[in-house]
Amino acid sequence: MLELILQTSVNAIYAASFMALVAVGLVMIFGVMRVINFAHGELYMLGSYCVVFFYADQQFPILVATCIGLVFVGVTGILMERALFRPLRDNPLGGLIASIGFLLCAQAIISMGFGVRAEHVPPTTQQVINLGIEGVAIPLQRLYVVIAAVLLLGALYVFLRHTRFGWALRACAQDAKAAALQGISLNQTARIAMFIGAALAGTAGALTAPLVRVYPYMGHSVIVTAFIIIIVGGIGSLEGAIVAAILYAFVHTFVTTFADGVIADIVGLLLMLMVLVVRPNGLFGTRERA
Amino acid sequence: MAGRFYRKGLSRRSFMGTTAAGMALAATAAPRSTLAADDTVKIGFLAPLTGEVAAWGAPGLFGCEIWAERVNAAGGIKAGNKTYKVEIVSYDNEYAPDKARAGAQKLINDDGVKFIMMLGGDTMPPVVQVANRAKMLVSTLLPSDLTPDTPYLIAPCEVHPIYNVTGVDWLAANKPELKTAMICAQDDALGRPSVATYLAAFEATGIEVLDDPLFFDISTTDFAPVMTALLAKNPDILCLDTCYSDYVHPLAEQAYLQGYKGQIISCTADFYDQMIEKTSKEFMDGVVFQFPDFDDPALNEPQINFNDPNGFFAEYNKRWPGEWGAVSWEYASIMDLWKAAAERAASVEPMDVLVTMKSGGTGKHAFGEARWWGKELFGIDNALVGDWPVVVIEDGKAVIKEYRSIPAWWDKHKDLMIKHFEAMGEMYYQRA
Repeated sequence: MLELILQTSVNAIYAASFMALVAVGLVMIFGVMRVINFAHGELYMLGSYCVVFFYADQQFPILVATCIGLVFVGVTGILMERALFRPLRDNPLGGLIASIGFLLCAQAIISMGFGVRAEHVPPTTQQVINLGIEGVAIPLQRLYVVIAAVLLLGALYVFLRHTRFGWALRACAQDAKAAALQGISLNQTARIAMFIGAALAGTAGALTAPLVRVYPYMGHSVIVTAFIIIIVGGIGSLEGAIVAAILYAFVHTFVTTFADGVIADIVGLLLMLMVLVVRPNGLFGTRERA
Repeated sequence: MAGRFYRKGLSRRSFMGTTAAGMALAATAAPRSTLAADDTVKIGFLAPLTGEVAAWGAPGLFGCEIWAERVNAAGGIKAGNKTYKVEIVSYDNEYAPDKARAGAQKLINDDGVKFIMMLGGDTMPPVVQVANRAKMLVSTLLPSDLTPDTPYLIAPCEVHPIYNVTGVDWLAANKPELKTAMICAQDDALGRPSVATYLAAFEATGIEVLDDPLFFDISTTDFAPVMTALLAKNPDILCLDTCYSDYVHPLAEQAYLQGYKGQIISCTADFYDQMIEKTSKEFMDGVVFQFPDFDDPALNEPQINFNDPNGFFAEYNKRWPGEWGAVSWEYASIMDLWKAAAERAASVEPMDVLVTMKSGGTGKHAFGEARWWGKELFGIDNALVGDWPVVVIEDGKAVIKEYRSIPAWWDKHKDLMIKHFEAMGEMYYQRA
């Protein structure tokens, strides 16, 4: 039983890492731009397809393909900000509708380019790391995701706390008008937030492409989970998103293992409802953010 | 272009005279069969061509198009005094019930199809209403769509999930040392009846299922926890039920990565070459499933009722490399049955074809002689059931090991099947 609990914990750590990458990106975009980006799952999907194209089809090294995914999806985020969200800055509902439009376009373009069927992404490695206890192990591919999540989220923390751009982002997230009055460019901070948010989603998609089903509609399930996480964590709170990702991943993974996956989804939603009842602004949310 | 002719001096009178002469010549010189073949019978293909279930729709359409080209090239369908060319009219229902209803209405009312082929499942109930009103013959790949209220719905090819009993039966006969099993499936209209079938099949062979089947949601992306839960029971057999191929692949990969060394049985193993690449040839050796590659020599046996299976497979792979899957041949096989019935009925009208198809209570499906069956399980004898192949991966290639009789299994163990269908709430009177 101890082995099963430990192995399930290892599975949950991977799930938390992946979910945190996606959810933190979504929170970045909402925090700075006040846009609910429904197309965030599609940014994740685009990251996966970068790996399909550059790694599986063109035989680039996986690290190169992942970096291309990060940059490509980040730049896509900048274009979304410029073309969709900036003209609708004072219209939150408009931004949401525009993101749904982008979502449908992205799915259609990928379907036309790659087909509707799941893509085959060869494994980057089949090595499994034994963790010292029999029956407890983590495949190296999954460990890559965990390490990348820790590094990227750590770098983001340093960026937000110790750089001028980071301070500007946090200032805009707290009060955009006051930040603008201090001379901070809202357009520039929105661009940076969108690049970081999209790039995190794209990186999550690229890193997990060899591990999950890569198909044009793969963003659906991810966006639902990401929304649950940011609601539990507190909308707009980066720390909340990370804590909620860990909490949700452990709850979901343990319930899947010890009951079943359908019950795990129900428990995940119940978790969100409970948090909303006890703390309507989420675990780390404030009244202003919500 | 006409203006240039006039400027060259072609008068209106000579132009009209030449045209009339040409038309008369064409009318007398053309062979009669060509004229008769101007009649076209339209067949509707109403299945998911995009979306998450597209893998069980689109490859079937590719197969149907090849089938129609072959039939048309051979002269078409001769029904009574007429010869018909076949035209497949497709409509993407995206596996959404409302789109399936709209598609059925368009195919029947606007396109005038004489027969509609569907995947079935969640998209079937609204189509049944439309089809019943129009008395339109509709086929499904999922006999679990059948109820007493679906008189015009037939399952003439795939008797999912009942054929899964043949794989378990073969496994028990050939590997008697396997005593225990664990099952997982997605929680939907495909997964649940299939779980009931596997439970019945395991019970019939004395294989113990160690715990309740593990269901997961169709939106699941990470299969590591599912596999950890399954392997924690240390089963001899890992049963992947009728999981979609997009789930079978990561499940098999997780089994491999988590060190599983036992037997795997699955309804499908589409694109098993990719599964081998994600695991190893040794790991996949011995995996049992139910859908052969059509280059298998065993498909050339005399009882097989599918025109040139090896040639069909070669043509399919030439046009759609890497796309061959479980349904690639199935809709084409249904078209074979429909064509035979239409030619016997001397009519392409839906009710004439249906009556002829079911006359005598027997028929020939892709794998040989079969009987119309299903009253006890579905409330109506509209499923054509006979032998079904048991396929095993050997040295990286799917091989038909044996054809096993579903009716023979049913005659011996039908009480078990009904018991598990009832427990799962999948009997026709529970679904209604």
